[in-house]
Amino acid sequence: MLSVSRVVRIVTLLVVAVAVVTFPQWAPNPYILSAGVVVLIYATLSTSWNFVGGFTGYMSIGHAAWFGLGAYGTGLLIARLDIPSFAALFISAAIVGLIAIPVGLAALRVRGISFVIVTVALLLVLQLVFQGLADLTGGSQGLVVPRPFPDLLRPEHHAVFFLIFTALLAVNLVAWWAIDRSRFGLRLKAIREDEDKAQALGIPTRAYKLSMFVVSGVLAALAGGLYALWFGDLDPIFVFSILFSVYAVLMALVGGIRHLFGPVLGAVIVGVGAEFFKAGFGDTQLHLVLTGGLLAVVVLFMPDGLIPAARDLIDRFRPQQSSIREVTVEQLREAERQGNAGIDAQEVGK
Amino acid sequence: MSLALVLQSIVLGLLLGGAYALLASGLTLYFGVMRVIQIAHPAFLVLAAYLAWDVHQKFGIDPLLTMVVMVPLFFAMGFLFQRVLISRLRPRTLEMMSVLLTFAIALIIEGLLGFVYSGTQRRINLPYSDASIEIADVHIPAVKLVSFGLAALALVALYILLSKTALGQALRATIQHPEAARLVGINTERVAGFGFGIGLATAAVGGTAMSLNATIYPSLHWHYIGILLAVIVVGGLGSVWGAAIAAMVLGVSQSLLQLQLGPIWAQTFFYVALFVTLLVRPQGFFGGRLAQRF
Amino acid sequence: MKKKQLLAVAGTVAVAALALTGCTAGDSGDTGSDDPIRVGISLPLTGDFAEPGTAIERGYQAWADMVNEGGGLLGRQVELVIVDDQSNPDKVVADYEKLIGQDQVDLVAGPFSSRLVIPAARVAQEYGMAFVEPAGAAADVFNQGFDNLFYAAPAVADDHWNHLVEAIVAMPESERPTTAAYAVMDDPFAMGTAYGLKAKLEGLGIETLADVVYPPTTTEFTDIAAKIAATKADIVVGGTQYQDAVNQIVALRQLGYQPKLAAYSAAPTNPEFANAIGGATDGILAPTAYTPDASYPSNVAFVEWYTAKHDAAPSEDEANAYTTGQVIQAAVEAVGCAEQGECQQKLVDWLHGNTVDTVVGPLSWDANGRPQGAHLIMQWQDGEIKIVFPADAAEGEFVYPKAAW
Repeated sequence: MLSVSRVVRIVTLLVVAVAVVTFPQWAPNPYILSAGVVVLIYATLSTSWNFVGGFTGYMSIGHAAWFGLGAYGTGLLIARLDIPSFAALFISAAIVGLIAIPVGLAALRVRGISFVIVTVALLLVLQLVFQGLADLTGGSQGLVVPRPFPDLLRPEHHAVFFLIFTALLAVNLVAWWAIDRSRFGLRLKAIREDEDKAQALGIPTRAYKLSMFVVSGVLAALAGGLYALWFGDLDPIFVFSILFSVYAVLMALVGGIRHLFGPVLGAVIVGVGAEFFKAGFGDTQLHLVLTGGLLAVVVLFMPDGLIPAARDLIDRFRPQQSSIREVTVEQLREAERQGNAGIDAQEVGK
Repeated sequence: MSLALVLQSIVLGLLLGGAYALLASGLTLYFGVMRVIQIAHPAFLVLAAYLAWDVHQKFGIDPLLTMVVMVPLFFAMGFLFQRVLISRLRPRTLEMMSVLLTFAIALIIEGLLGFVYSGTQRRINLPYSDASIEIADVHIPAVKLVSFGLAALALVALYILLSKTALGQALRATIQHPEAARLVGINTERVAGFGFGIGLATAAVGGTAMSLNATIYPSLHWHYIGILLAVIVVGGLGSVWGAAIAAMVLGVSQSLLQLQLGPIWAQTFFYVALFVTLLVRPQGFFGGRLAQRF
Repeated sequence: MKKKQLLAVAGTVAVAALALTGCTAGDSGDTGSDDPIRVGISLPLTGDFAEPGTAIERGYQAWADMVNEGGGLLGRQVELVIVDDQSNPDKVVADYEKLIGQDQVDLVAGPFSSRLVIPAARVAQEYGMAFVEPAGAAADVFNQGFDNLFYAAPAVADDHWNHLVEAIVAMPESERPTTAAYAVMDDPFAMGTAYGLKAKLEGLGIETLADVVYPPTTTEFTDIAAKIAATKADIVVGGTQYQDAVNQIVALRQLGYQPKLAAYSAAPTNPEFANAIGGATDGILAPTAYTPDASYPSNVAFVEWYTAKHDAAPSEDEANAYTTGQVIQAAVEAVGCAEQGECQQKLVDWLHGNTVDTVVGPLSWDANGRPQGAHLIMQWQDGEIKIVFPADAAEGEFVYPKAAW
C-alpha cells in the first residue's frame, strides 16, 4: 500500500523529471540550453564518481581520466576507423572497462593515500600520452569528432544531447539507487566504515571495490564519449583536466556523497552558481579562488554535504516524531552511525 | 649522439635532480608528521617564486636576498596552516579530506596569483642569467649551479636540524611512532605544526631557486605535483633521504631519456616509475620503513 | 518521512535553479537603426595566451574607436562585446554560444590562437555567422570545411617563411647554410610555421640535425637547448609563440651555441621581446604580417591614431585585430547590413568575391578562407626591427651570418 510520504516523494520526482525533460522546450535561448547540457555532464560525471566515492569512501581526484579515455576512444573510433557514432560510444566504454580492471587492481592494492596518488598520476600521464601520440590523437592540435547528426541545427543539436545526457544520468541514478538498496551495497558501505572489520566478516573487499571502480569508470567513459559527440573538439589538456576531476568531487561533496541525489544537487548548485558568478564578477581567475574556497569550506565544515545539513535544519523546526513506526531501519542505522562518529571525535579530542 | 652531449645531459640531470630533491623533502616531511599528501606544496613554491619576482621587479633586489625574509614568513604560514586548517579534519577521514583541503588551497593560491599578476608568464632577468661555466665541452649555466647550491645547502640544514636538535628529535619521534612520542611527553600536535612550517620553508627556498632560472605562471604548480609525487613514492613515502636519492636518479633518467624520446615521453617516465613502484615495491626503493604500514 | 523531505528539498532547489538560469537570459535582440552595432569577441585575456590576447584586444578597440570617431558604421556606433576565454577551448565555445544565442550580437570576430579558432569557427558556422579572425593561421583551420571563415592576414602559417627561403635560394651555393635544427612547440600555429620552413629547407638539401617538439607548458629548456646546441647546426628554427622563444634563446646562449641564422616565429615581433632576452637580439629573424612603416593609406592613419593614443607604434597583434575590423567593416559597408540572419550570408558571399584594402595590404581569400599573400621577413638590427624581405618592402640589408648573441 502506498503511504502518503511515498506518494509525495513520487510526485516530486515526477515533477522534477518532467521539468528536466521539457527543459529544451522552455529554455529561453540556445545558450541556456547548452549551459544546461554542461550542468548535466557535471551531474553525470559526479554521480559516476560517487559509485566509488560514496559507497567505498575512496576519493579519486583523477576521475576525468575515464571521461577523457571515453571521449578519445569514441572520437578515435569514429574519426580513424569510421565506426558509427553510437557504436563507437559503447565500444569505447567497453574498452575503458577493460583498462579499468588492471588500473583498479594497482590502485586498490594499497589503501588510502596510494589510491589518491595513483588516480592523480593516471590522469597526468594520460594527458602526456595523448599529447605524445600526436600522429594518432592529433596531440595538442586537437581531435575533431564528426557530428552524429550532421543535419541538425545547433539549437536542435543541443536539445537532442540534453535528452541523451538526461537518459545517461537516469541510468547512473537508477544503478546507484539499486546498489544502495541491495545487500551488495550494504557490504560496500561496510568497507567504507571499516575495511578491516568488513574483511574479517568475510566480505571479499578487493573484488567489491574493484567492481565499483570499473562501473564508475565505464559510466564516466560513457559521459566522456557523449561529450565527444556533442562538443566535437577534443584537446588532451582540457579533457584530461585535474580541475574537471575536482569539480566532480566538489559537486558530490556539496550535495552529500551518501545520498542518491547529492551529486546532482551539487552539480546544479555549483554549475548555476558559476554562471551567476561569471555574470556578476566577469571572467577573472577569481573563479578558481571561489572554487577552492567552496571546496575548503565543505571539507572543513560540511563534509557530509548539504542534504544532511539541510535536513538537520528542517528537523529543528519540526515537532518531534509522533510514532515510533515512522523510523525506518535505515534511519536507525544512520542515527547509530552519527552517534559513533560523535564518539570517535570525542576520543580524538582527548 | 656525441659523448659531450651525454655528459652534458647527465650534469643537467643532476642539477635538476638536486632541485627536485629539495622540493620533495617538504612533501616527505608533511607525510611523515601527519600522513598527509600536501597537494598545495608546489603552489606555495610558485607563490614564493612570484614574490621573489615581484620584489625584484619593484625594487631590483636579488631573489637570494629576498629569501632571508621569505623563509621565516613561509615557516609561519606552514605552522598556521597546520594548526588552523589541517588539524581540524576528522582523523578517520584525514587522508582523503586533507588531499581535498590542500587541493583547495592550491586552487586559491593559483587563482589569487592569476588575479593579481595575470596569467602572463614571468621571468627574472638577472645580470648572470646567461653566464655559464665550461668544463671539457660541458656548459653549466650559472643560475642552475646557484639553484643546486641552494638545494644542497637547504638539505644539509634540514639534516642538521633533524639529527642534531631537540626539535629534530621530537620530529623524528613523531614521524616514527606518534603514540609513543605522546607517551614520552612530546606535544605531537605542535611538532606537526613545526613539521609543516619547515616544509613550507623549504618551499620558500625552492621557489627562490626556481625564480632564478625558470619562467613562472600561475598554473605552473600542476607541472610539479606529478613529478614530486613520483619522487616521494619511488623514494619511499616519508623518507627524506630516499626521496633525495630518487630525485637524483629520476632527474638524470629524465635528462638522458629526453635525448632519445623528446620532452613529452621523457616526462612520462616519472609516472611509469611511480606505477611500477606501487605495483612491485609499494614501500619504495630507497628507504621508507614507514610506508610499510600503508 | 526524512527521505521525502530530502527529495522535496532536492526537487525545489533543482527547479528553482533551472528557473533562475532562465531568468539570466538577456532580452536584447531588436535591432533598431539607431542601436549600436554590437560585435561579439572572445579573447584569451588570462591564461597561456594572455600576452597576445590583450594586444589583440587593443587592436580591436582601436578599430572600434576610430570607426566611431568617423561617424560609425552604416551611421550606427560600433560596440565591442569582449569576453575572456581564459585560453580554454571549452570556454571559447560557450562564449560564442552566449554572444550569439543570448546576447544577440550583430556580428562576431575571431579569438586568438589557432587552437581556439577551430572550435569558435564551428559555433559561428552552425549559427550561420560570418567569421573573420585575426590569428588562426595553421593549415588545419582551413581544412575543416568552413565556408564562413576568413583569416585577416596575408598568409597561412606554412607560408610565413617563404621570402626567407627565396633569399637562401638566391645565395651563392658556397655560402648557403647546410644544416638546421628545429625546436617546436606542440601547437598548430608554431608547428605550421616551423615545419612549413623545414619542408622547404629540406627541399634545398639543408640537412635536419635535430627536431625537438615540446608541450606548450614547457618552461625548462636547458635539456632541449643542449640537444640543439650539440648539433652545431647553421640554422636554428624555433616554432614558438612568445615565452618559449625567450626561454629557448636564453638557454641556447647559456650553452654557448652560435648559429649563423636564427629564425623564430611570433615572439620577436613582440615589443617586450628585446628586454626579455636581455638585449642580445641582433640578427634574429621573424615573419611578420605587418610593419608600422607600410605606406598603405589606411595604415598611415592607423599608426598615427594609435601612436597618439598609446605613445607607441602598434605591433603585429594589434595590427592583425585592426585588420580584422577593417575586413568586417568593408563587407558591412558593401552589403549595407549588420545583423544576424540572412545578412550574414551576404557578408560571406561578398568577402569571397572581393579584395579588401587593409593595413597589411590588399587581402583576398579562397573558398576555405586562406588568404592569398605572403608574410614579410623582419630582422633585429642594432636593437630595432627592420623588414629585410621582400626586396620591395625592405628597410635594411639581410645580415648573414648573424652576429654572436
